Amino acid sequence: MSPDIFFYLFSALTAGSALAVVLCKNTVASALSLLVSLVGVAALFILLDAFLLAALMVFVYAGAVVALFLFIVMLIDTYGGVRKPFKKATIVASGLGLALLVTGLATLAQRGSIATPEFAGTTAPLVPVGASLRAYGEQLFTTYLLPVQIVGFLLLIAMLGVIVLSKKFEGLEDVK
Amino acid sequence: MSPELIQAAADNRWAAIAPELSLGCLALLLLVLEIFLPKNRQSIIPTVAITGQIGLLLGFVWNLRYGPFVAYETFSGLIRHTQEGQFMRGFFMLTSILVCILGVIALAKQKLPKVEFFAITLVVSAAMMLLAQSNHFVLFFVALETVTVGFYILVSYFRTSPLSLEAGLKYLITGALSSAILLFGIVLLYGVAGNPTLPGSSSDSMNFNALRVFLEANPDNFLASVGIVFVLAGVAFKIGAVPFQIWIPDVYQGAPTPVTAFLAVASKAAGFSVLLILTKNVFGSYQTLLVPVLSVMAIATILFGNLAALTQHNVKRLIGLSGVSHAGYLLIAVIAAATEPLAAGAVYFYLFAYLLASFAVFGVMTHVAGANDADQDLEHYTGLAKTHPFLGAILAIGLGSLAGIPPLAGFMGKLLIFIAAFKAGLYTLLAVAIVGVVVSIYYYFGWIKAAYFSTWTAPLLEGETDTRPARTPVSLTAGMTLGLLAAATIVLGFYQGALGEWLLAR
Repeated sequence: MSPDIFFYLFSALTAGSALAVVLCKNTVASALSLLVSLVGVAALFILLDAFLLAALMVFVYAGAVVALFLFIVMLIDTYGGVRKPFKKATIVASGLGLALLVTGLATLAQRGSIATPEFAGTTAPLVPVGASLRAYGEQLFTTYLLPVQIVGFLLLIAMLGVIVLSKKFEGLEDVK
Repeated sequence: MSPELIQAAADNRWAAIAPELSLGCLALLLLVLEIFLPKNRQSIIPTVAITGQIGLLLGFVWNLRYGPFVAYETFSGLIRHTQEGQFMRGFFMLTSILVCILGVIALAKQKLPKVEFFAITLVVSAAMMLLAQSNHFVLFFVALETVTVGFYILVSYFRTSPLSLEAGLKYLITGALSSAILLFGIVLLYGVAGNPTLPGSSSDSMNFNALRVFLEANPDNFLASVGIVFVLAGVAFKIGAVPFQIWIPDVYQGAPTPVTAFLAVASKAAGFSVLLILTKNVFGSYQTLLVPVLSVMAIATILFGNLAALTQHNVKRLIGLSGVSHAGYLLIAVIAAATEPLAAGAVYFYLFAYLLASFAVFGVMTHVAGANDADQDLEHYTGLAKTHPFLGAILAIGLGSLAGIPPLAGFMGKLLIFIAAFKAGLYTLLAVAIVGVVVSIYYYFGWIKAAYFSTWTAPLLEGETDTRPARTPVSLTAGMTLGLLAAATIVLGFYQGALGEWLLAR
């Protein structure tokens, strides 16, 4: 089978389950749909030969992040409750949004078609950075060393933020 | 390793970002001091933060005339050092110092941890300095996210106030949404510019230079247009332009006053410096798309900001919405910058005048505010000029400059923008801006009136206490800072000196 079929299959899976995340009434079902959607994205990465990214996607997002979501959903226990009917403003806004979306998609179909790239023999085949851990790591520690360092600071201030916003402080009166 | 990678590693010239590195290290030093100093000695930490930054700023200004990296690219093209970038670097360092000074005053009224505030402020400022010099979407996005994450924390820093937490949550959700839109735009541009069948495509299409070459070779690519609009939408969120201004009133009101000042001045300036780089250089060949989009945005921003500010009683909301209208005036200059070389300089001058005036006003606000930082009403200013003539004078100068009253610096800023818009032939925008300025005088002078002219207030009944918070006495440091800001506002209105020469020469 041609890889095109797989592409359409996994794209449909990703988009369909992403829609289910929003539409499901049960939050656990939403979180599980998110899991399916992320696995679909990982499969799309494999089709692009980005095996490392696919593995990371499964490990980090499907493994850790969705598990965290489920923990929180179960902790705050949001079952039941009757959903309120939509307000008039919501209906009008969603109608407008839909109209815009249709216009956008129609324009895209008319003007935005992209020719399939044909790789002539003259250009050397690109080595995808996301394919192997080695290529990825070498890029991170040479070309993109500065962004990596900035992300280090980002994580530092995020940690500070968690401490400042959640820790119970005692004896702050002494500290001036 | 391949020779390209060795070359890339050698291109990481850390000396080129020495100011940013020093700011980051200063932030780490503050945290280390917090661990090792005994509790009763920790009061010196804010002093260390402020004096350290003043030293850094002086060193930076001293080294400006050498500038060995200006007009070069370092870090494999991630950073492009320009004169404008140098200006923004100094700008963000100055804002950071002022935010720390206001932070000391505001934090003294709260029972909250103090040191982290300064550490986060320093890291956010360093990230903004990198953002203003970035030449690659990877660095651009990482620096932008560092700024945004820092602001999520700073906005909800007064966690004992529900309004501050609400503001943090609102900023988190709208910020995440705008980041998603921005990222989608970047991905579209990256994808379409990496398509080998199109002319001018590049394998490193996140690089601004490569992207510019591609866009010039493909003047009417639909996907690229969609990407550009999405990137503009993400940046418009940062500057608070309509229709991405929805977060401004609540977040400005809930955030601690120094953070509101930081958001109003530095976040907006970062947004505009990035917008100028993008619209002037990178997206320059798509003017037929940019001009209508930005024009509609500018008109809506000026009208919305000024009309919504008219009815506000909370001064933080008022200054937030008036800040929206300032973003509108600046957008006009951004549009004019495509054809009129004066306009870019006008943007930088306006931002600088806005910094001076805003921090003067925010400094007065920090002194008038009580323990409940979100509740700052126009009523709290009655009789300010009588009891605190110094604060009253600073407030009048700051607000006058924001309103654009000659001969203050704000007037020169607006004049430069209007001249640039006139030369570029943007007559409709100019007319809207003038209407906006006239409307803005009403609410700015309402504030001055509250401070200067006594109005009738209901006498206190028995058992009732005055709900207005007590005003903080002005310390020597704060007094000197506010005095300098006001003096600079007046002087810059008469004489622009080397700064004006430098800005208008390009």
